[in-house]
Amino acid sequence: MQKRKISVSAQKRKEAYFFILPAFFYILLVMGYPMVYNAVLSLKNMDVKNLKSGASVFIGLQNYTELFGNETFRLVLKNTFVFTIACLVFQFTIGFAFALFFKQHFPLSGLIRGMILISYMMPMAVTGLLGKNMFMNDGLINDLLKRIGMTGPEWLTNTTYSLPAVIIMNCWVGIPFNMLLLISGLTSIHDDVYESAMIDGAGWGKRFVFITLPLMKSSILAVLMLGFIYTFRAFDLMYIMTKGGPLNSTDVLGTYSYMFSFTQFKFSRGAAVAMVLFACLFVVGMFYLHLLRREEE
Amino acid sequence: MDGMMSRRKKILCAAIAVLIAILFLFPIYWLVQLSFKPDMEAFGRVLTYYPHTFTVSPWQENLDDPVFITSLRNSFINGFLTMGITLLLGVPAAYGMGRYKVRGSVLFLLTFLVSQMLPASLTLTPLYLIFNSAKLLGTHISSPIAIAASSIPFAVITLRPFFRSVPVTLDEAARLDGCGPVRAFFYVMIPAVKTGIITIIVISFLNGWNDLVYSMTFNVGADMRPLTANIYKFQSAYGTKWNCIMAYGTILVLPVVILFIFMQKYIVGGLTAGAVKE
Repeated sequence: MQKRKISVSAQKRKEAYFFILPAFFYILLVMGYPMVYNAVLSLKNMDVKNLKSGASVFIGLQNYTELFGNETFRLVLKNTFVFTIACLVFQFTIGFAFALFFKQHFPLSGLIRGMILISYMMPMAVTGLLGKNMFMNDGLINDLLKRIGMTGPEWLTNTTYSLPAVIIMNCWVGIPFNMLLLISGLTSIHDDVYESAMIDGAGWGKRFVFITLPLMKSSILAVLMLGFIYTFRAFDLMYIMTKGGPLNSTDVLGTYSYMFSFTQFKFSRGAAVAMVLFACLFVVGMFYLHLLRREEE
Repeated sequence: MDGMMSRRKKILCAAIAVLIAILFLFPIYWLVQLSFKPDMEAFGRVLTYYPHTFTVSPWQENLDDPVFITSLRNSFINGFLTMGITLLLGVPAAYGMGRYKVRGSVLFLLTFLVSQMLPASLTLTPLYLIFNSAKLLGTHISSPIAIAASSIPFAVITLRPFFRSVPVTLDEAARLDGCGPVRAFFYVMIPAVKTGIITIIVISFLNGWNDLVYSMTFNVGADMRPLTANIYKFQSAYGTKWNCIMAYGTILVLPVVILFIFMQKYIVGGLTAGAVKE
């Protein structure tokens, strides 16, 4: 009996690995290995000239020291953080407000809640095209501003306004997504919790601060962290809408890394920028995984 | 707290919701309406909010371009190949993770969770160099290989709870009837999680369809690139012909809208479960 049980579990184990391992090895091969390769690459001096000859050598941390000594790189790093934090603030607060609003049952609530998600599903490249058109000097946004008696700035040619324009386009995509994730958190709070609070005389504000926020704590943190991870790595939007310009004012780590690797073909320098991007995500990602784990238990 | 909403408040809420919908869908309207404007109106000095003269010539101009047609085909290839790889590897892995408890489960789960969050920028340069030596650059499979690496974790994380919720008795009954694990997987488990599978089909296709960065990096020739990656080529060809550019954009958005209309339930459910896009 005992023996049979062991052989059954050995059989089960074999089955499990048969189903899981192909995907696992695929990920290791297409993501794990390139990740390590990228780290190694960032310590070398590989570019298009020594790619064929294979004459690239290790140069230690030189790529990194040169990057951090470079004013443009520091601007790009700052842009990435400004972009991410500004997007998070607007996406989260407006997304949360929308979630509270659309959670209610009224005619059209489900339909419209779903419809506005289209902006999230469509190619970011098209969002970039749209942004480029709507923020033109005599485009839609400035025309609308003119109608209410304001003079709009030269959004995409002025270094002060280019990043805000990109942020606005990104929020158009991010708000519905934040709303979606927060609604699923909100629906997990039972109505009777609110009802008993209402019987106790708690008003809307009190209910929000003392019931909604504490019960939503883990989903709020998850949404903020996922938001950070997905916003921080932005590429498509800037690449199409502004190409990082004017004067690097909308350049972020993703576009900057791409420029090094595939415009200047300095692969190692591009890899080093990507490592900086990864390091920032890593800190936030670890925190997120820690939370997920706590939730699994 | 929902049940107590008065009729008047309901109407007010619906009105606000309609305003929000108009605000959020207006850019999509803007995209589409521009594509039906003649040249004069599309880049004239006066901005119009709807086509005063209606024309399909911007669409005609795109459709007459052979590079456009191959790009459109390449976009479909990207979508379907990504979907294929994701289904082939992701669905079995989700099943294995959901139904069996084995050594290494935590490691597997962690790997899938982490790989879902990795930015394309991190693997782009190395993959380019690897594909370069493997002679994979400029082939149809190069981008789907890379895109699927983030679609597979999505599939695993989204589908795992689906498989977990299938009653064990269903599995056991199939085994008693003499089904092997592979047969049981195909004939019993997959039909039982149909909803989740549809989500994966739709989202992995869209991941391939929407991709820009891998497709433009791995394919240098315009004839190998999908629509997203050829935007710049068409933009420089059309200059400021926004009507043609927007017809191009509308065609890129069209499958998304169609899938969305018919599959909204699956897309929304999947996004909430996996909490990810890529």
